[in-house]
Amino acid sequence: MKLFIKRSAPVLGLLGLGLAGCQPDIDAPKVSAGSADFSRYVSVGNSLTGGTADGGQYRESQLNSYPNILASQFALVGGGTFLQALFSETQSNGSGYLRLAGFTPATATSLPAPITASVTTNLAIRGAVPTRTSPLPRPQPLYTKDLSDINNLGIDGIRMSDITTAGFGNSASTGGTFAAPTPVFNAYFERITPDGSNESYLDRVKRTVASIKPTFFTEWLGNNDVLGFATAGAAANSVTPAATFTANTKLVLDALTAGGAKGVVATIPDVTNIPFFTTVGPSFRANLALNNTPVTVAPFIYTTGLLAPGQPNTRVLTAKLSDIGNAPGTAGNLLLTLTASPYLSLYGRATGKYWRDFYQQARPNLPPTYTLAQFLGPAALGGLAIDTTKAFGQDPANPFPSTLVLDPTEQASIVSTTNAFNTTLTTEANARNLAIFDANIFFRSVAASGFATNAVNNTAGYLSGNLFSLDGVHPTPRGYAVIANEMLRVINAKYGSTFQGVNANNYRGVVFP
Amino acid sequence: MTVKTLLLAGGALLASASAASASGFQVNLGGQKNIGMGGVGVGLSLDQAAMFYNPGALALVRENGVQFGVNAALARISFRSENGGDQRALQNSVVTPFNFYAGFGPKDAKYKFGLAVYTPYGNKVKYADGWEGRYALTEIDLKAVYVQPTFSYAITPQLSVGAGLMILAYGSVNLQKDLPLPTGPGHIELDGKAKTQFGYNAGIFFKPSDKLGVGVSYRSQIDAKVENGSITYTGLPTGASAGIVNPSFTANKFAATLPLPAVASIGIGINPTDKLTLGVDAALTFWSQYRTLDFAFSSDNGGTGVVGGSATSTSKRNYQDALAFRVGGQYMVSDKLAVRAGASYDFSAVRDGFVTPETPDADRAIGTLGLSYQVTEKLGVDASFLFEALVKRTQTQQDLLNLGTTDRVAGTFRTNAYIPGIGLHYKF
Repeated sequence: MKLFIKRSAPVLGLLGLGLAGCQPDIDAPKVSAGSADFSRYVSVGNSLTGGTADGGQYRESQLNSYPNILASQFALVGGGTFLQALFSETQSNGSGYLRLAGFTPATATSLPAPITASVTTNLAIRGAVPTRTSPLPRPQPLYTKDLSDINNLGIDGIRMSDITTAGFGNSASTGGTFAAPTPVFNAYFERITPDGSNESYLDRVKRTVASIKPTFFTEWLGNNDVLGFATAGAAANSVTPAATFTANTKLVLDALTAGGAKGVVATIPDVTNIPFFTTVGPSFRANLALNNTPVTVAPFIYTTGLLAPGQPNTRVLTAKLSDIGNAPGTAGNLLLTLTASPYLSLYGRATGKYWRDFYQQARPNLPPTYTLAQFLGPAALGGLAIDTTKAFGQDPANPFPSTLVLDPTEQASIVSTTNAFNTTLTTEANARNLAIFDANIFFRSVAASGFATNAVNNTAGYLSGNLFSLDGVHPTPRGYAVIANEMLRVINAKYGSTFQGVNANNYRGVVFP
Repeated sequence: MTVKTLLLAGGALLASASAASASGFQVNLGGQKNIGMGGVGVGLSLDQAAMFYNPGALALVRENGVQFGVNAALARISFRSENGGDQRALQNSVVTPFNFYAGFGPKDAKYKFGLAVYTPYGNKVKYADGWEGRYALTEIDLKAVYVQPTFSYAITPQLSVGAGLMILAYGSVNLQKDLPLPTGPGHIELDGKAKTQFGYNAGIFFKPSDKLGVGVSYRSQIDAKVENGSITYTGLPTGASAGIVNPSFTANKFAATLPLPAVASIGIGINPTDKLTLGVDAALTFWSQYRTLDFAFSSDNGGTGVVGGSATSTSKRNYQDALAFRVGGQYMVSDKLAVRAGASYDFSAVRDGFVTPETPDADRAIGTLGLSYQVTEKLGVDASFLFEALVKRTQTQQDLLNLGTTDRVAGTFRTNAYIPGIGLHYKF
């Protein structure tokens, strides 16, 4: 019987192979443009559009920008060349960026923590200019210029409120003096603006529309109008006024649609869901638990609102350590910024480390003769009223600074501002019959339940969530691919096109060493 | 030949193809004659394979006999990702389900004994390297061999009953997939043997005239339980990230249960002439028992263990009961030569949006051909060929998100299977 099996199986196999050479075919789906024309595409936006990641912009991050991914899909239906101000191969590290160097070892009393390092080789820095906000000894770097007629106008750091600012790309705009401040130029806009030109961002958009004559565009501005406020712990950098936001939204959309182009407008995600705010609090709490710290008893004293000399700073005396958010998305809890990380281990110690650092940061905005002693001195004399001999974060005289904390009031204010801006963006997009990518709804659902792509679970978590890069704000290539796919979905829905998107798993998350 | 050697042979060469001739990972390849007739058999008493199709009919099988059959199942699965890219194929392999029957009874007695060995469930697929669903599955090999001592008794010349003790004598599962580690893709392999389990296969056969037979049969559910399966990893980091990543992959043992569901069948057999036999069957497989696929992870020293940071994993299946309709016929060309043909249609056990790479099930249409040649009065050869085409099936990323089935892959599956088979029978 065994012999029978041995002899017949290969015969059957051969017979079967002969008959079964024929693999069933699945026809490749047709990719079509629908009612839109994707032949000339222009993207307008900030760092998210430019492809910033890991706290910088570099060749790889630019190549993985969502507009570049979109352009690769548009090319399937006749989309033409899509030019970006790419850093060259030899200057591939662009502005420099953070890389993950390793982890601190776990101990009995502390969990492992990531160690990041700056990439400082092969940069595209051609010089530096001291400005009001970046004075010596750390002047603002200037990046290698690219004056070609680029399609991707994503400018790192630009706010909706900046688009009409003249001289925004002129390195001569150094910001004036503390007493008489004027706008400071943006180094990323400077690198694509001819030397000496005072062209505003809006004018550049108009010039691009005139020369490229886009048939399709994406517009995603406004994140920095709340983000800068939020990442500074709602302690500085005031939010753009609603009227300015609305007026500028109209201006930029009118400029983009002047030639009849169709496009997508993206809303602003609620930034309190990003790892920049959701990482440090939970990891601090986990370390406290490891040390059996009585979190419901131990005080966590912090300041709220504006934190600047000459301004009254409000101290919150009733909070406990347990008020710090233990899990991302928990409502009503204190959020700590990623920048709070180096100072948390100082909790309870008599230290002025944070305040000395804060003084250095604040100096450009202070009168030149203003000393540290004055800075920390009594409120009556315009100081912050800090006593660094008291326990940091535990004593009302040495509170945890507002710059590193978003309390529930500030979170609510950020959410309502975001919603107001999004209402404007949606209204103006609808008025022009454009597609809308509601990034706010999308990232809220990512924060709540993750976003799996082909059996890989991606979340809004720091490091291992795959979607956010090391700066905790900007996406990874995986994150940008997911954004591009979501945009293609709304494009398909609006214009009847049939783009398939990309396999997001082919784009990396944060790579561990 | 003993059961043990049979099982050894089974272990060495048996597996059953995915897409082998019934819904889910069911395999309806019980006997070469039946295969040639579209898989009918509940209302017939053709040969010793009645032990599989309807134990009640065994008592009315005229001769004692031993028979053995083997099939070569070649599934051709194609896949296209929702996000474009090339069509993907399997790494093709041939799997060979087989069956063995021995039926005995005194001449003119009202009863018969028998022993059956068959493979009612099984699954083997191996996808191309680097395919889009690699983090859901790279390959699976699921085997189940049933051994069934059977007794059948003819209460009257028209009515017989029969039952068999189904023993899950051999069951094994090997499941592999890639791991999306932050240091680059890794790989995990789960391998385990099922515990011996018992069930029953019972049937009633009613033959009111020479021209008509009616049968019902029921095979009970057996749960294939793996209690101490092993887990092996490859590609876990060894450098700076080992201390961060590896604590999420400490398990080296797993436990899991897979239902091998019950099947209820009804069939009618008709003999319009001496030379022509026709059969019609309907079968309902109770796949709705397969709700989730759950794994519990642990480690060697009896301690806790995790995979991906979790001590358990649950994957939704939500299968539905699946109907199949079968029809087939046999024509005796001469005393020595019989030819057969048949067709069947099996409805899918898998709901829309729940399709997994290990069982890319869909409604399937099946056509079969067969013949037998009686070499001597006692020895004959049976051959069959089965072709099946599964309906092209698509699920989107949005489907997966809506249903919470994001542990699988969005795209389109299409499968064809080609299953030639050959067998020997010896009557005495």
